Amino acid sequence: MTEARIHDRGYMAYSGHRHHPRRAMLNLMVHTMQRVLGIKRTFWQKVLPVFTLAVAFIPAIVLIGIAAALPHGDTLGMESTPEYYGFITGALFLFTAFVAPEAICTDRRSGMLGLYLASPLNRDTYIAAKFAAIVAVLGVMTLGPPLLLLIAFTFADVGPDGAVEWLKELGRILAAGTAVAVFWAALSLALSSLTTRRSLASVGIFVGLLASSAVGDGLSTGAELGDSFALFNLIGLPFATVARIFGEADLDGAPLNAVDTWAIYLTLIGLIFAFSLFTRWRYQRIEVHR
Amino acid sequence: MNPAGSPVTAPVIVAREVQKSYGANHVLKGLNCDIMPGITGLLGANGTGKSTFIGLILGLRPRNGGTLKVLGVDPQQSGPELRSLLGYAPEHHDLPGDVQAADLVRHIAQLHGLPRRAATERASDALWQVGLGEERFRPIGTMSTGQRQRVKIAQALAHDPHLLLLDEPTDGLDPVHRDDMLTLIKRVGSEFNINILLSSHLLEEVERVCDSVVILANGVATHSSTLQESRSSTAAITVELDSNPQRLAEALVARGAQTAIDGHILTVAHSSTDSTLNLIRDLVADLDLGLRRLEPRRTTLEDVFIEASQ
Repeated sequence: MTEARIHDRGYMAYSGHRHHPRRAMLNLMVHTMQRVLGIKRTFWQKVLPVFTLAVAFIPAIVLIGIAAALPHGDTLGMESTPEYYGFITGALFLFTAFVAPEAICTDRRSGMLGLYLASPLNRDTYIAAKFAAIVAVLGVMTLGPPLLLLIAFTFADVGPDGAVEWLKELGRILAAGTAVAVFWAALSLALSSLTTRRSLASVGIFVGLLASSAVGDGLSTGAELGDSFALFNLIGLPFATVARIFGEADLDGAPLNAVDTWAIYLTLIGLIFAFSLFTRWRYQRIEVHR
Repeated sequence: MNPAGSPVTAPVIVAREVQKSYGANHVLKGLNCDIMPGITGLLGANGTGKSTFIGLILGLRPRNGGTLKVLGVDPQQSGPELRSLLGYAPEHHDLPGDVQAADLVRHIAQLHGLPRRAATERASDALWQVGLGEERFRPIGTMSTGQRQRVKIAQALAHDPHLLLLDEPTDGLDPVHRDDMLTLIKRVGSEFNINILLSSHLLEEVERVCDSVVILANGVATHSSTLQESRSSTAAITVELDSNPQRLAEALVARGAQTAIDGHILTVAHSSTDSTLNLIRDLVADLDLGLRRLEPRRTTLEDVFIEASQ
């Protein structure tokens, strides 16, 4: 009997299952998270995301180690979530400025935006998927370490007292981590939507955040125009929000300490909406590269 | 059966008075056309609205007026659902350079609704079909222009679209790769049974691969027919003599015909091919002229294009 082999089965029509067009958002979100984190990319493209994640998690791991090693579960007073955010500000700042722009700048520069908009995605669902991807990755950094600490300290018997307090602490961590992640993601997308060059977006975000900090603090304390001007400080605002969520108003003598809690919340929410609407406005007007 | 596989021969695209403006710039000014199943060339000089029309077909932009149905639905109303059935290969050559061809094609197939496993299999198949089977795990940035064009076709094919939109698919290719690409497009249309709308400004490639042609000029469709109809729609007869055809022309004019002389070639306008051919044959015999060629004048796509563009 001779052996028969098929060398070319030709083009086959596809008659299998097709997901609903809405599923495209989830696919783009996962794909963007992979790209932002350097997955399936070269070694050098993994360095910065891995570094920022390490900076975010290593303090938590060290604290857990200390709590485990020291007698009576001593945490050296570092169980406070707002203080932990102080540790990882640099990581969040680096991620927002240097990693997140990869999510949208490259698509416009490489022409992928044209392919995306020729798929079941539209401009709004495209931006929503990108936003969700950045929030998810930032959320790993803003939620992961505090949750890790909460669980570890609970096992070390230095966590919140009782189930109710524990759940309240969990709720505060979720609210604070989500607020910070959403704020940085909205800001990053808005500034990145202004250019197709990732490096230019990074510089813009970096300089913009530092400038906002200088302007906010300068106007409120230097020029003594009033504490409310400290709300211009876009680096301090999310961390002041975290402090207020945890009922702490004192952040190392920052000018934002004197600002009302509702003003901080409203400014943060307002800026998130403003950044998001700006990004949407930009993308409604961008001509697709064909 | 139409190429999409359903037993209908309804147009895949129906445009009626479609208008599109960018500010004061009226790009499409009431475009009317029916694009039938098969391979259709969308011809027009640069700036005549081809890319704008493709953008409207994809539902990327709202139109300012008229109605447009693609595969029976309005792209403006059902954009995401429609686009899941369309494949699109853009004109530009830029694709993310650090992504492997197989990953890009799989990703686009997943966006069009295919589950991950099916998308992976079909991405591999599509890359084999376009001749990149061995190269499918190479980063796109390391590929030649011709190979990138093939990747673009593969990503447009992998999810088995009902309609494939190709925007200047041979742009930037050398003659050998251009020839390969046109062969591939012809194969996709004929063997894969996928409807294709091929946007181009090159008459030769449309003439080579397309079944039908729509010509855009000044924002409207000035010509729409099958290529066969375009070529056979002659209204003149060419007569070539071995001497000056002046005497024959005079004899024809005396019998009510319209003529034009170009060297030894006489063009005779007619209303009936057979009777005019008989008349010329008889006159040539009566005048004792040497006849080299007598045939209905074949209209080329170039003739149609020039006429439609004026």
